[in-house]
Amino acid sequence: MNHSKPLAGAGIAVVAALALTGCSGSGGGADAGTGETTELTSLSIMAPYLVTNAPQDDNEVEKALEDVVGVDLDITWVPNSSYGDKVNITLAGDDLPQVMVIQGKDPGFVRNAEAGAFWDLTDYLDDYPNLKTTFPEVQKASSVNGKVYGVFRARDVIREAVIIRKDWLENLGLDMPKTTEDLYAVAKAFTEDDPDGNGVDDTYGLIIPKWPGTIGTNSPWDALETWYGAGNRWTERDGELVPNFTTDEWLDAVQFERQLVEEGVVNADYATFDSANWNEPFLTGKGGIILDVHSRAGVLMNLFKQADPDNFDSYVDITGNLEGPDGEVHALPTTGYSGFLAIPRAKVKTEADLRGVLEVLDKLNSEEAGPILNNGIEGESYTLDGDLAAAITDAPQTLKDDVMSFSQLGTNVNGFQGYLPKQASDYEQQMYDKRKEIEAADLENAEFDPSAPYVSDTYISKGAQLDTIVADARIQYIAGQLDLDGLKDAIKLWRSSGGDDVIDEINELADADK
Amino acid sequence: MAMLDTAITETETLTVEKQSRRRRGVRVHFTQFKWLYLLLLPGIVYFLLFRYWPMYGAIIAFKEYIPFLGIADSPWVGLEHFEDFFTSPDFPRLLANTLILALLSLLIAFPLTIVVALLLNEMRLTILKRTTQTLIYVPHFLSWTVVASLTYLLFALDIGPLFQLINGILGTDINFLADPAWFRPIIVLQDIWKNTGWGTIIFLAALAGVDQAQYEAAIIDGAGRFQRVWHITLPSIMPTIIVMLVLQMGQILNTGFEQIYLMTNSLNRSVADVFDTYVYFMGITQGSYSYSTAVGLFKAVVGVVLIFGANWIAKRFNQAGIF
Repeated sequence: MNHSKPLAGAGIAVVAALALTGCSGSGGGADAGTGETTELTSLSIMAPYLVTNAPQDDNEVEKALEDVVGVDLDITWVPNSSYGDKVNITLAGDDLPQVMVIQGKDPGFVRNAEAGAFWDLTDYLDDYPNLKTTFPEVQKASSVNGKVYGVFRARDVIREAVIIRKDWLENLGLDMPKTTEDLYAVAKAFTEDDPDGNGVDDTYGLIIPKWPGTIGTNSPWDALETWYGAGNRWTERDGELVPNFTTDEWLDAVQFERQLVEEGVVNADYATFDSANWNEPFLTGKGGIILDVHSRAGVLMNLFKQADPDNFDSYVDITGNLEGPDGEVHALPTTGYSGFLAIPRAKVKTEADLRGVLEVLDKLNSEEAGPILNNGIEGESYTLDGDLAAAITDAPQTLKDDVMSFSQLGTNVNGFQGYLPKQASDYEQQMYDKRKEIEAADLENAEFDPSAPYVSDTYISKGAQLDTIVADARIQYIAGQLDLDGLKDAIKLWRSSGGDDVIDEINELADADK
Repeated sequence: MAMLDTAITETETLTVEKQSRRRRGVRVHFTQFKWLYLLLLPGIVYFLLFRYWPMYGAIIAFKEYIPFLGIADSPWVGLEHFEDFFTSPDFPRLLANTLILALLSLLIAFPLTIVVALLLNEMRLTILKRTTQTLIYVPHFLSWTVVASLTYLLFALDIGPLFQLINGILGTDINFLADPAWFRPIIVLQDIWKNTGWGTIIFLAALAGVDQAQYEAAIIDGAGRFQRVWHITLPSIMPTIIVMLVLQMGQILNTGFEQIYLMTNSLNRSVADVFDTYVYFMGITQGSYSYSTAVGLFKAVVGVVLIFGANWIAKRFNQAGIF
């Protein structure tokens, strides 16, 4: 019950908001293009960081960035693990930043956005050369029923990959899996046929960690379900959009997952295993397969390089999305974005101020700022080799960390604004090229979420409760705590607790959009 | 009639006089003790400012609170959030989980504290008693995060020492951390390990106040140790036990957020979700501020009812309540 807030403060905010509506109204319905722009001298931003330490104030990267954008940056860094909580708390407080990284369209954000807490940028972004996106479909996916509340942070669309211990495959004389059936066979062989040849039964196939998100959050389980043809979060059946877990393919997929667990080819602590240690079983030779983003393969290669510099090229191999039982590849794409930069109206009050902020965001995604956000500082964290950036490996760790953190501010809505990385060795370059090939091939078969731009009212009010019903039932079914009927009951419970309304509303929104 | 009139006037004068005397009395009282009242002032201000003023925020339980609009301008929705909560499939599960954990702690952890206090009291070797006391206090100073990490290490699948020991002896293969059947026992064990020693302090203080002459008399009468504990010690500390019990009742729905949150995973969530974790999940993680406030408010109301109920029962049994 800590939501106390002096009445006066709230009152002022509301009056300001009213005044604001009044202003834009008196503009004579002029289109957004004629608005004035306030010159900003500083910009406050709230952003997450994924490394151990947050950047210090006025670090080198920040200074370089300030030179390019021409304003003082005042960035509040919040650890990624508690970022969502912090956003909700900040929104309920009085002191908002001018720009907030919003990580997704969760019910809390949507409720606030629909009440007018954030600027609707739909009609503004195209006025700015670096904010006008070249991926309109991704921008639409990031919108709330067509209203764009932020500058999305672009991500590779195809990231899912199967990462496998190459040496184990060779020891057992197996090929890279192409289908989910192959995956099962390889995982089984890794578990039972002593792939490391030490004569001890101490290995297993798939390494799967505890996943914090619910269904449709690109977990290894989600990947398997998409490969089985269940769609990606939502899918179209008989002209209607339905959640993937209402399909028969999904039920087949979870039965396959249960089989994997029952036969012991998955690590037994998949429900409690911390994803921060995901690489460890792979490195130490306990487990042999990881289903995750392909960039993890690069991380693993580097770790093997440290441990065994001479043969590090013999450990890791990757392949893309696998063929399902129906003989087709259903690739699992990401949403194409990872949240967006939104502008709270409680802090940025007038249209002129908004344009001031957008001006800075525009510069933040410029050709000059891009390399700083994506690669760091030339001569200190990378050197240019043609148009590729070669990382300076002995750069100070704090600098490397800072570059990582600042990349969170990158939007790249009109294509990647930095230099692509130059790989350290031929093998790594080869793997990188392979990864790019896989990406291109899988993109053709990507199962996009058809419901991405739509947010239903019932979902906003009950989504949080609904999401966990099926997600928990799935993991309980996989663990053998529920039988198939129990799982189906959970799906029925989902329907009766508001899920059916969500389906109706999503379809209405989709029909209206056609 | 005249007499009556006079009588009335007399009474009136009397009342007026009494009142003015009382008023004067109050004034004198305040002037006399003004420094004491001044000392009290910061305490009163503290409570008004930090305990009562925030309660204003609780009205968002009856509104659809949207931070951008502020508390005052968010639309009223009446009891909608409460209806949603009571009719949601989560409610029976949360209530059952919370009550079962609370009752387990009330029936196991609470009496155990008294037993340990009695055992400590019976120790005759002071140095041994003191050392034991200190040793069992120590876990109280560890945070739940540390306790949870220790538990994870001890019970980790395949490699945890306790996992190996227990499964080795029983010849089973129980995954203590993920098996819903083991969630409650582990929570209660953690609670006992961490808090029992600390809880004995208040009972030891009560035990120190027991009249020693009664024990001497009992020994002369030939009472054994257990008889002395049963007939003298326990009745003497009964008021303390009752007070602690009443206070405990008010806390019954406060199952301890951190401990449970840290021990929850998707396999045991069906037994682990309690009101406290639910409020956090819905309010902070999902941003349903109003809904979670309604849940929190419900919990607080139940707490108040229980504390008054327990107090009333204590009085009925002829024991001193706390108010």
